[in-house]
Amino acid sequence: MRLSFQEGLDQVQAALQEEGELVLRALRGALNALWAQDLELADEVIAFDDEIDAMYFDVQERLEVLLARQTPVASDLRLVLALLHSNLHLERMGDYCVTIAKLTKLVPDVEPEHKLVDAFSDMGARAEGMLRVALDAFATRDLERATSLVELDELIDRSNRRVVGQVLALAADPERLEWGLRMITVSRCLERIGDHAVDIGEQVAYLVTGEFREFTDASRGGEPLG
Amino acid sequence: MNDLIPGARVDGELLYHGQDLYGAGVDPVSVRRWIGMVFQKPNPFPKSIYDNIAWGPRTLGMRKGLDERVERALTQAALWDEVKNRLKRSALALSGGQQQRLCIARALAVEPEVILLDEPASALDPIATSSIEDLIHELKRDYTIVIVTHNMQQAARVADLTAFFSLDVRDDGARTGILVEYDETQKIFTQPGDPRTEGYVTGRFG
Repeated sequence: MRLSFQEGLDQVQAALQEEGELVLRALRGALNALWAQDLELADEVIAFDDEIDAMYFDVQERLEVLLARQTPVASDLRLVLALLHSNLHLERMGDYCVTIAKLTKLVPDVEPEHKLVDAFSDMGARAEGMLRVALDAFATRDLERATSLVELDELIDRSNRRVVGQVLALAADPERLEWGLRMITVSRCLERIGDHAVDIGEQVAYLVTGEFREFTDASRGGEPLG
Repeated sequence: MNDLIPGARVDGELLYHGQDLYGAGVDPVSVRRWIGMVFQKPNPFPKSIYDNIAWGPRTLGMRKGLDERVERALTQAALWDEVKNRLKRSALALSGGQQQRLCIARALAVEPEVILLDEPASALDPIATSSIEDLIHELKRDYTIVIVTHNMQQAARVADLTAFFSLDVRDDGARTGILVEYDETQKIFTQPGDPRTEGYVTGRFG
């Protein structure tokens, strides 16, 4: 039954889920710091990225060893490849959380535009939800849930496009405009976290069906990003 | 066994708990008591399953609790359930994979510290090979296992530490076996330190 191989696969999947939990914590922290303009919390989120990175390297190394020592084929090979990609997506999500925390620190003295901050709370909650769906779909090999990420992503994309209009409305006040321009990047970060969740969903679909395809084609259809 | 090969010569020391196994005054029977061996081709004695396992303990005078010892060895070798109802039958009636596990059980029966496995799965089908490899995985908790294999994937799968041996051929044609590299298996198969090891594990020979 190749017990040590199965153990190795189980362990690396558990490590990926753990990494996902760390990213969720970072995301929650980044959103709270932004909401409360809590610079200390923003610093914690930035420092916390080391833990995500350590997990990322741990998963990467485990996969390297499995490839070198166990020569996985068929569904085992697909699992290893899907884990390899998803690992990178999670690490990127962690980086976006750091970017949000850094931007929070750059503009501490400006009274935030509440409409925008509310929009970010909404986008952030959606991004969190999407990551949870992606992680669960991976753990349970649930193709339907993985595919559902496309529709969830559309909602974040729409919010992201609205942000530009709201920032333009701040043009009269240079200080707040600067804040608003930085917030466009925050919006973009949240939107990208959603995209990475969709990408993990695509890896789940590949793992389950053996066929790799993009759920949506970025070069066709869809509205331009804000 | 090297003594049986004409012209074979051993240099250096082979230390076991600090004692040179090729040194003078070493009792081969005592060496075999602590270092068990299993060969490439399963070689059960033409005796019953029970007597195969009991052979070593009887020879060494371990007669007390022999039934339990036989059961323990067969259980450790993951063979007990398959043979417990036919212990008195001939070992030669077992399948190749079962015979090899019997030979492993025979080595375990005297409770050695080290087990040498010389190509233990090369004569077996993939399913029997897999069960031997799982067995190695279990046994390594209690025994030091040294396995000789030409199958690199097998070395990669089962070993914690890997040594790569090769041949050094001098200009005059003299051939000497040499140790090229010894390291953690993970290292050998991801970042070998010697280009000869890299060539061998990637299948780029010669």
